[in-house]
Amino acid sequence: MAKKLGKKARKFARKGLQTVQKQKRKQRTFFKKKSAPRGRGLNGDAPDENEENLNHERNMSQLDQNVGGAHVVDRNIGSLLGEEDEVELEDDFSDSDGYLSEDTECPYISENENENISRDDTARGTFQEENTEIKMQIAKLKKKLDKLLAKDGEFAKFLDSRRSQLEQYDRMVSDDEEGGGEEEEEEQEEQTKLPVTQTTLDVWCWLVTEDPNSPALRNLLNLYHDASLYGVITFRNEKSAQIVSHEFYSTIIHFVLSEADGIFRTLLGVPENSNAERILMKLKSSKEWLNVGPLVKSYFKSSIKLLNQVTDTMLLVFLLFRLMSSVVFLHAFSSLGRRLIKILVRFWSTGEEQLSTSAFLLMKEVASQLSSDYFNICMKAMYRTFVARCKFVDDSNLTRIDFMKSSFLEITSLDVQQSYLVAVSSLQRLGDVVKHSSTTKKKEDLMKINNWQYINCLNLWVKFICLNYKENNLQQLFDKAVRVIFGITSLFTGPRFLPLKLKCAQMLNDLSLTSGHFIPVSSLVFECLDLTGMVTGKMDGDEEPRLKLSTLLKVPGNLLKSRRYQEECVRSSVEVLCTHFSQWSYHVSLPELSTIPLILLKRCHEKATVESVRRLIKRFIDQAEQNRDFIQMKRDGVSFSPNDQTSIDNFLLLEKSNAKSSFTQFYASMLQNSQIHNMVK
Amino acid sequence: MEPLPEPSRSRSKRDYELKMGKRRKVILPPALPPETPDEEFEISDEDVEFFSENRSFTHFLAHFDKKKIDKHVTRVADKSEDEIERLYERRNRNNAPLDSRENDLQVDPVDALPIKTLDGKLQYRTTKKVGSEEGHASTDLTGEEDAEKQGTHLIRLTKADRNKKLKKEKKEAKKLKEDEDIAPNSPKEKIHSEVLKEVEEEISAEESFGAKKIKLAEIGMALLEDPEANIRSLKELLDFCKDKDPQVVKLGLMSMLAVFKDIIPSYRIRELTDKELAMPVSEAVRKTRYFEYTLLRSYKSYLQKLIELQKEAIFKLVVVRCMCTLLEAAPHFNLSEKLLAGTVRNISSSDDVIRKLCCEAIKSLFKNEGKHGGEGTVRAVRLIAQLVKKHHCQLHPDGLEVFLSLRFDEDLGKHENKAEEKNKFTKNKKGKQEPMKHLPPSEKKKSKQELIAKTRGEVYADYKAVSFAPDSEKRQRMQSDTLSAVFETYFRILKHAVDASDPRFMSETSGSHAQPLLAPCLEGLGKFSHLIDLDFMADLMSCLKQLSGFSSGTNLQSKTFNVNNSGSDRSNNGLTVSERLQCCIVAFKIMKSNLDALNVDLQDFFVQLYNLLLEYRPYRDRGEVLAEALKTMLWDGRQHDMQRAAAFIKRLATFSLSFGSSEAMAALATLKQLLQKNTKCRSLLENDAGGGSISGLVVKYQPEATDPYLSGALASVLWELSLLSKHYNPSVSQMASNILSMTNLKPTQNIVNPSLIALNPIQAFWESTVQKELLKLMNAKVPPSLKRKRRRVQDMEYYVLDPQKLRNIDSEVIGEEEAKLRFEEHFKVLRDISENERLKGELNRTLASISLYDEFKKEKREKERSVVLKSGKKKAKVLVKRSSS
Repeated sequence: MAKKLGKKARKFARKGLQTVQKQKRKQRTFFKKKSAPRGRGLNGDAPDENEENLNHERNMSQLDQNVGGAHVVDRNIGSLLGEEDEVELEDDFSDSDGYLSEDTECPYISENENENISRDDTARGTFQEENTEIKMQIAKLKKKLDKLLAKDGEFAKFLDSRRSQLEQYDRMVSDDEEGGGEEEEEEQEEQTKLPVTQTTLDVWCWLVTEDPNSPALRNLLNLYHDASLYGVITFRNEKSAQIVSHEFYSTIIHFVLSEADGIFRTLLGVPENSNAERILMKLKSSKEWLNVGPLVKSYFKSSIKLLNQVTDTMLLVFLLFRLMSSVVFLHAFSSLGRRLIKILVRFWSTGEEQLSTSAFLLMKEVASQLSSDYFNICMKAMYRTFVARCKFVDDSNLTRIDFMKSSFLEITSLDVQQSYLVAVSSLQRLGDVVKHSSTTKKKEDLMKINNWQYINCLNLWVKFICLNYKENNLQQLFDKAVRVIFGITSLFTGPRFLPLKLKCAQMLNDLSLTSGHFIPVSSLVFECLDLTGMVTGKMDGDEEPRLKLSTLLKVPGNLLKSRRYQEECVRSSVEVLCTHFSQWSYHVSLPELSTIPLILLKRCHEKATVESVRRLIKRFIDQAEQNRDFIQMKRDGVSFSPNDQTSIDNFLLLEKSNAKSSFTQFYASMLQNSQIHNMVK
Repeated sequence: MEPLPEPSRSRSKRDYELKMGKRRKVILPPALPPETPDEEFEISDEDVEFFSENRSFTHFLAHFDKKKIDKHVTRVADKSEDEIERLYERRNRNNAPLDSRENDLQVDPVDALPIKTLDGKLQYRTTKKVGSEEGHASTDLTGEEDAEKQGTHLIRLTKADRNKKLKKEKKEAKKLKEDEDIAPNSPKEKIHSEVLKEVEEEISAEESFGAKKIKLAEIGMALLEDPEANIRSLKELLDFCKDKDPQVVKLGLMSMLAVFKDIIPSYRIRELTDKELAMPVSEAVRKTRYFEYTLLRSYKSYLQKLIELQKEAIFKLVVVRCMCTLLEAAPHFNLSEKLLAGTVRNISSSDDVIRKLCCEAIKSLFKNEGKHGGEGTVRAVRLIAQLVKKHHCQLHPDGLEVFLSLRFDEDLGKHENKAEEKNKFTKNKKGKQEPMKHLPPSEKKKSKQELIAKTRGEVYADYKAVSFAPDSEKRQRMQSDTLSAVFETYFRILKHAVDASDPRFMSETSGSHAQPLLAPCLEGLGKFSHLIDLDFMADLMSCLKQLSGFSSGTNLQSKTFNVNNSGSDRSNNGLTVSERLQCCIVAFKIMKSNLDALNVDLQDFFVQLYNLLLEYRPYRDRGEVLAEALKTMLWDGRQHDMQRAAAFIKRLATFSLSFGSSEAMAALATLKQLLQKNTKCRSLLENDAGGGSISGLVVKYQPEATDPYLSGALASVLWELSLLSKHYNPSVSQMASNILSMTNLKPTQNIVNPSLIALNPIQAFWESTVQKELLKLMNAKVPPSLKRKRRRVQDMEYYVLDPQKLRNIDSEVIGEEEAKLRFEEHFKVLRDISENERLKGELNRTLASISLYDEFKKEKREKERSVVLKSGKKKAKVLVKRSSS
């Protein structure tokens, strides 16, 4: 809890800082000058294209800039997203203030109970103390000021003349990112509202549970709206006084969250577990919708605000799960949907396991239940965020990036056709970068490739191809990806780039495995094997942590000669060869395939001085030779020729399916080990 | 300072006088400034000082100034205006001294004059400056002047010409006399130069730079317009190159370069003999002679200057650029040797730009032999040879690559003959009608020449005199000279490499790349292999053999051992794989071009290639070299020995399984050719249960054998092709299936697919390089077979993520009670924060109010003070200072 409080406090401090304030103001005016694209109809095609272009440009610009230094990109992407947020905000608040007109018939029970609520129930935490401290300070200063005022009569006048300057201090503190004129308008409207007590609330809740049609629902939703804004509206806004106690707050939120979906469904007359199509049908043309629509809208709007407000992860997860059941209603409110997706993508990229997973689940609901436009928005927002978030890879965020990749793939495989287009354009971009670099060969161009952002993106699409190759015709994407990867390997030579090469080799192996095409991978690791001659017997010390090549692209110079690094290199290259061999382990030409690698490995074995390396290589050689001999033996018994493709395809099919031979098991265990090795942090 | 030539001196003097006159005119109107009281001076200085310190108080200062001046107005009315002007001037000058001065001068010098005339001495300087500025800036004026004085100018020039001629004649007789000649001029000269110097010192550097630039441009333009008339301005240009300012020197050098490039004649200037000098000549001839003489002399001193400046780092690039451009533009002209020497010296400079420039210059020299008749080539090649020798073959490879641009005309004699014939023919047509019969080229060459010499002696001599091109004999001689120098260099490098690769010296040379020149050397040998003298062949071949890694003393077993123990990218002789491949290529090329003359067994080179295929690493080694080796050694070759062919076929197939698509394509193209030529080897394509009717010495295939003859490849089957037909690259897989389909052909049938046959290994290599592959565009259209599938989530199927884990997430969601609690907690935090915000706001406001009190007090005090201090301005200043601090 303390941590969360700290977070909140930090956020607050950030708001209070003058510089931040200034910058925010500047940005706001800047963004507001740009005309916000309004009224993007969900069914209209033109705005959608617009969006697509926008996204494309963004992707490109991100990739373009990803070399120019990390913080430059950071700023850029940040501003891009910021701009969109701004647009959404305007979009949203401009049409209505979020309040529903209330029925005055609702019973109000006024009691004095809320006056009894003592103040001593403040949260355990720092603010309590701080507040009292400040209070004391204020008292002291006030005294001083009074003295001064008494001393000099003219000072009061002077002070009056500087009033505006003083006001600034207030604004400085109270201004919020959600700020703007909107709350003040509300304030005036709601001035006449009766105060709601706890009892009233309970009665309302009861009324609504009894009869969903009750007018109290509107009041409740309004209260929910207030609650969602609580904290945003500052002390100057007296309306928040409606929510006076924590019980009140939690009751209202909890009640609405848990009951809203059911109520809406009963109101609309769709059963609890009816599927999305039916609801959508209902939504389009029904009288009920006219009544229920605004309620649903208010519900979503408030919930989104609440999502923005709450910082507790568990609460967020709770909220997300509550929202999941009513996702289908979002269909009618495109701008809200966009806003929700934006927030979800933000949660998704946090890397906090539960939060990001539940955000992903909700997104998946949105993408699959609603129209394809939502799918597009979701996918592109996710891709954009992924590109922005994968610039660095280390132990700490490896899982997060993995999760992001795989959840993105989940989303894309919902609609392969649409994601195919994105994949084509992205791969084309990636390919262009390689093409450009291979002509210029400049260092800065090479740096565009030799970074995690690029490699992660490429890896993402390779995985996409692997996932969908079998069921779809992705030959074109496959070709392009292979070409791009080979292009990368051609650009980087030297032992420093071995991790990069190994990564490329792994990707090629994956592609080869899924496509059934032969990809000559072995030459990529030869360079690595040549390195073994450099391994000196010297140990660098036992305390040195095990190196993870999976988090390296370019090896720092000091590691280059280290034994650990070289061990890792040999191990990884053997693994790559292992995958390669195991793929073709029952193919007729395996003996030939393994000829050159085996010759080199034997050389390597002779040169190696480190026992662990020697042992590893030796084991692999033995198994590969066994494999070779096995195939050769079997091959001698057949009578077909190399041009008899069908016989070759059927060659040793039975053995392959059984996979009992020792070398198969060896390959399997080797690969398993490598996976474990890469996963263990 | 050298004495200036007479006409220019007198002209400048005239200019000078003219300017003086102008100055007098200009200066008159403004009145002399009034005498300024000392106290005023001080205070205003102080003001300025203060002002420059605190710029923000401009207003304040201006305010005070006005008052002061007002006071003066009351005291001395008539001088007020000047006073104000002077003050402003001074302040401006102090603010931005350079700006104001320049502006004054450039915008309207007349206005600026009164300011400058304050001090007695300055008067002269400013006027001079302005004058000179005008003179330089307005080219129109000088142009007009020129036009006006055109008549006298010309006469004067001729006079000067005569003077010069006389001087020159005397110089050759006695040098002392020339000194005497100049001596009487010197006093005048001295005065003039002194004045000039003074002026130059006084005007600011920038100004003079601008002036010099303009002057340079003027002279240059004049020279280009009429080189004959203005030839002596070269001297002036040359003087610019002696300037202290390096920028000016650079400009001077560049402008001279431009001038020379344009005015250098297309012939070589010959020194006049005494006899010729003695002969009386016409005016025109004398003029030309004078022109030539001056040109040559200044060219010479220009070159000297260049060579001298070359040693200085800041001028190096400029100088090299000048030299290279000159060498390219005028390789025929006098003193080109010096240029050549300077260029060659930088041919392997560590500076990329300089090296590129020089190499390009030399290359163009080689390519445009017509410009200099081949002499330049010989000289350049010899110089490079010397350079290589001097540096013990440790130069940048670019330096040797220039040899590749050399062109040797093998049929030199023939061409010359034909050309002569033609010439003769045309002359015959013009002159006597002697029937000419067609001459067969080489055999009768000599007799024909004699005949021609006899019959057309006179005409031929005339023609020779007129045409600058050297005759074929001379050209042949030059060519052989060039060749011998080139090969001398090549052999030297080879020898050096062999020495270095000797195992005895290995320990010393290992570590650094010992042979930077070997690659271009081998390339050159390959290119000019047909020109190598037969006498060298045997040595050369043994050299190459050694370099390619074959050590004759050791048998195969120990060699494999060596290979196993050698470093990763260097073999036992310290050469890279590409270099060793190149050695093989060169050996084959030499053999090919001297097919009948030599009978050397190339078997060793085949063994090398067979093993080098394993050493090859993509991107580290040059793939194109490998492809070339395959082409020259296997693809082009005649019928191969069956054993060897089979061994290579098998190895190439294996090779293409492990390497990228471009290498695989090259290998497969070769393989195909081999299969086509060696029909018997097609048995490899079939799995013959009997083990092969035509097995060699070795019954079973040994993939690791190092000798192709001992591999027993005939017993193997090309199973590789079945896997290669699954290759990701469509062209490779197509090629593989293509080869596989050869099985069904009868031994006599050859052509399978004409389009692929045409591909030789090198083409095949370049066809499928990564870069080329990347150029392929993707079709953005969605393939029709793509499923349009929207999967509903009801069944919660997942592809990548672990569904179990996701389900777990569901159960981990907090219960309602806890959610309630947490919401309560959240509320409290929010409430406290808003409370905190409110309190902080109040705190800030109060603090601000208190701090405002200070300000309030200050203001109050200020008001009081200002009332008090209105009388004395000095005190006011103090206040300002205090408030500012």
